[in-house]
Amino acid sequence: MRLIWWLATVMFVGFVTLLLSEQNALDPLKNATLTVSAPVEDTFRDAASPLSDIYEGIADRGELVRDNERLRDENETLKSQVADQQEKDLLIQQLTDALQIQSQRPDDQLVVANVVAEDPSGLKRSIAIDLGQSDGVDEGMVVLSRNGSLIGTVSLAFQDFAWIRLINDPESAVNAQVNVSSAQPGDGGVLTPGGQEDEPSATPAPSPEASPSASPAPPPAPVRGVAEGHLRDGIVLDLLPPESAIGPGALVVTSGLGGNYPPGLLIGTVTEVEQRPQAPFKKALVEAATRLDSLDTVLVLVNFKPARLEAAP
Amino acid sequence: VRYAVAAVIAWFLAVLDVSVFPYIHPLGVSPDLVLIFAVSWAVVRGQDEALVVVPLCGLIQDLLTSDPVGLSIIGLAPAVPIALAVRMRAIETDFLPTIAAVMGTSACYGVISMALLGFTGQDVAVFNSLLRVVFPALIINALFTPLIYLPMHWTAPRQTAWLQSSARLPSSL
Repeated sequence: MRLIWWLATVMFVGFVTLLLSEQNALDPLKNATLTVSAPVEDTFRDAASPLSDIYEGIADRGELVRDNERLRDENETLKSQVADQQEKDLLIQQLTDALQIQSQRPDDQLVVANVVAEDPSGLKRSIAIDLGQSDGVDEGMVVLSRNGSLIGTVSLAFQDFAWIRLINDPESAVNAQVNVSSAQPGDGGVLTPGGQEDEPSATPAPSPEASPSASPAPPPAPVRGVAEGHLRDGIVLDLLPPESAIGPGALVVTSGLGGNYPPGLLIGTVTEVEQRPQAPFKKALVEAATRLDSLDTVLVLVNFKPARLEAAP
Repeated sequence: VRYAVAAVIAWFLAVLDVSVFPYIHPLGVSPDLVLIFAVSWAVVRGQDEALVVVPLCGLIQDLLTSDPVGLSIIGLAPAVPIALAVRMRAIETDFLPTIAAVMGTSACYGVISMALLGFTGQDVAVFNSLLRVVFPALIINALFTPLIYLPMHWTAPRQTAWLQSSARLPSSL
C-alpha cells in the first residue's frame, strides 16, 4: 500500500515539475546546476577526449582519425566557400540584388561558445554550451560550427547556459536547397572551391550545347526540400521533387525560406538518393559537413533574428 | 547523511554521463549510469532508502540534461517496484536481480521517456527509438551494471537477514 501511495506521489510531483519545466519556471534551477557542474564537465570532457580515439580503435588509428578530422575541417571550409560562392552566383543570376538580399550576411555577429555537455538519452541530439541569455543568446538562434556550417539552433536558453538542438535531432527541420548548377560532382570528379568539377580522366568531347557560339544556358532553379533529423539516418533531405536531378556529392545549404535560418549556410553533402516508384517525393541522405558527435567549440549567430523570434511579443 | 552521499554520487555519475560517456557509445547508445546507480541502490539497500534515492537520482538527471525536469523522476519510478519484484529469487545474490532490474527499468525508462517527450510536444519516432535506443540501452546498461553494483555491494550493509530462513543457494556476489 505504501508503494502505491509513493508511486502516486512521485507521478504527481513528476507531472507538476514537468509542467513547471515546460513553463520555464525551473530554468534558474537548471542554470544553477549547470553553473556548478560545467567546470567539472569541461574538465572531464577534456580528459576524456582521448577516450574517443581509444574507443575508435588501436593507437595508430587515433592519428588517422585526427588527420581525417583535420582534412574534414579543411574540406568543410572549402565546401563552405563553394557553397557560399554558389549561393552568391545563384543570387546574382536570379537578380536578387533587386530584392536586396544578396548582402544579408556580411555583418554576421558570432559569439564563440564551448560545448560543456551532450544529452546522453539517445532519444535526442543536443549539446549544452557555456553561453546563455546574459551573453545575448536566445532560443531559436542559429548555431554554426567553427568552420561556418550549420549545426543547429538554440532550443533552451538559461541565464548562463543553453542547449542546442542539433540538425540530426528528430525534432529538427531546416528548409534546405541543393544548387543543381554545380551539384553533381559524383562519379570520381573532384569538387573545387570554384564549384567546378575536375574530371580525372580525359577531357570529354564537347557537346553542341557547350560550343562557344551557343548562348549560356539559364541557371537551373535550386532543388528545395526539408532537411530533417533522423535517429537512424542522421539527416534526411525530404520533400524533394521527383524530377530533381541531384546525386551523391551535391552540397546542401539552407534556403532561407521561412526566415528561421539565413540562406546559404552549408548543411552537408548528399550521400545517397532514394526514389521509390509511385512516391510523390524524393529523399536524400545527407552527411553533415561537420562531425556532430565531437563538437568542442561552436559559434552562435546572435544578430540574425529568426522569424519565430521576431514574431514573438 | 546516506542520502547526501547518494545525491553526490548520482550527481557525479550524471556529470560522467553528459561529459565522458558520449565518447563511448557501443551499439550507438551511452550507458545510463544514474539509472544503474538508482536500481542498484534499490536492490542492494532496500526499499526504504530507494523511495528517497530513486526520485533524487531522477531529479539530478533532469537538472543536468536537456530533458524537462520531471521526466526522469517519473521514468525512474518503476525501479522501486521492479527492485522489489526481483527479490523473489532462488539464489541468495543481489547481482542477477540487479541486472534484471536494470534491464526492466531501462525498458520502462525508455518507454516513459518517449511518452513524456511526446506529451511535451516533441516528435518521437517510436519504432526507431525502440530499435535504436531503448533495446540497445537494455544491453549496454546491463553490461555496465557491475561497475556500479560491485562497489555498492561491497560497501553496503548486508540486507540478507530476512533471507536467512529461506532455502536459497549461497553466492559470493
